[in-house]
Amino acid sequence: MGGEGEDLEPLFDYHRVQPANFVCIDDDDDSDVSEVPIPKKAKTSQKVAKEDEEVKVIEVAADDDWLLPPPKVIFNKESGEDSTIKALRSKKMELLSFTKNVANVMQEVEESAKREVEVSLRPQLSEADDTQAQPEPVPNDRAKIVITIQDKKEQNKFRVYADEKFERLFKMYSDKANLEPQNLVFIFDGDKIDPSTTPSSLEMEDGDMIEVHPKKR
Amino acid sequence: MASGIARGRLAEERKSWRKNHPHGFVAKPETASDGTVNLMIWHCTIPGKAGTDWEGGFFPLTLHFSEDYPSKPPKCKFPPGFFHPNVYPSGTVCLSILNEDYGWRPAITVKQILVGIQDLLDTPNPADPAQTDGYHLFIQDPAEYKKRVKSQSKLYPPIV
Repeated sequence: MGGEGEDLEPLFDYHRVQPANFVCIDDDDDSDVSEVPIPKKAKTSQKVAKEDEEVKVIEVAADDDWLLPPPKVIFNKESGEDSTIKALRSKKMELLSFTKNVANVMQEVEESAKREVEVSLRPQLSEADDTQAQPEPVPNDRAKIVITIQDKKEQNKFRVYADEKFERLFKMYSDKANLEPQNLVFIFDGDKIDPSTTPSSLEMEDGDMIEVHPKKR
Repeated sequence: MASGIARGRLAEERKSWRKNHPHGFVAKPETASDGTVNLMIWHCTIPGKAGTDWEGGFFPLTLHFSEDYPSKPPKCKFPPGFFHPNVYPSGTVCLSILNEDYGWRPAITVKQILVGIQDLLDTPNPADPAQTDGYHLFIQDPAEYKKRVKSQSKLYPPIV
């Protein structure tokens, strides 16, 4: 019953508030005439607020409609906006951190790939040392590359160790072409190849092509 | 973005050149003394075609690529003063496929450019002269022209 009564009250109160306010203003006017006029409004609002407090719950709604609604509504709206903005921001941050994670992963992959390359190069070097130490090594793990040798007529592919001197490749080619290696010049990227260098020392890649020219005179 | 396209394409051009290129030709991006590679400038060598007056010559050519490559062709330069009817006194080659407004297409490869210029050496285009010396001799004094070409070929011997 009490609840119902309270439910009904706001309508009545809503109407009553106006006269109550008028009454209050009148009262205030009466009491405050001697005082500074500015605090009047404050007092009226305070009084209304007090009344609202007394009437409680639904009175607050009435109060919202009357005096404080704009700020309260704005606050509500702002808080609502804040929450949505916050939600958006947090999502944005999540996405940013996600992209950062992806970038990090990519970097890690690159670095690990580099490390692998370094690791794969090191054993070659160490094995090269081994080959010098042991005249008959087991050359299973040494990196091999395919080098194309082009003369004026044709191309031939040779599979050689990347860390092996060109001497052997030149000998292989000369034997196959039935020519003397001392009469030939091998050129990579326009530069004569020193037989004591290796494909890896010239930073050659798998599939690279070198040219062979007959030595002039 | 444009530079990305240019450099990406040039890296591909270089990759394919390393694996296969016509005999006697050289084409490599400029390498600074500190080892850094400049893909935008290539130092090339074009061999004179066998059986022509240009045979035996290995002619140095520099390709200058712009950020607009391959939308725009590279500028191709022989040494200044190079003797040829279609080469400007500055050394810049005048060739239809190297003209942005005429024969250039983005699909033309470095290989095709160099072979095209090799063709141009022995088959100059008198309709499009770029220097007076080479043009006049080519038109008026074929014997002297031949002599000049042969002597120039000796100026650029093979590096071997």
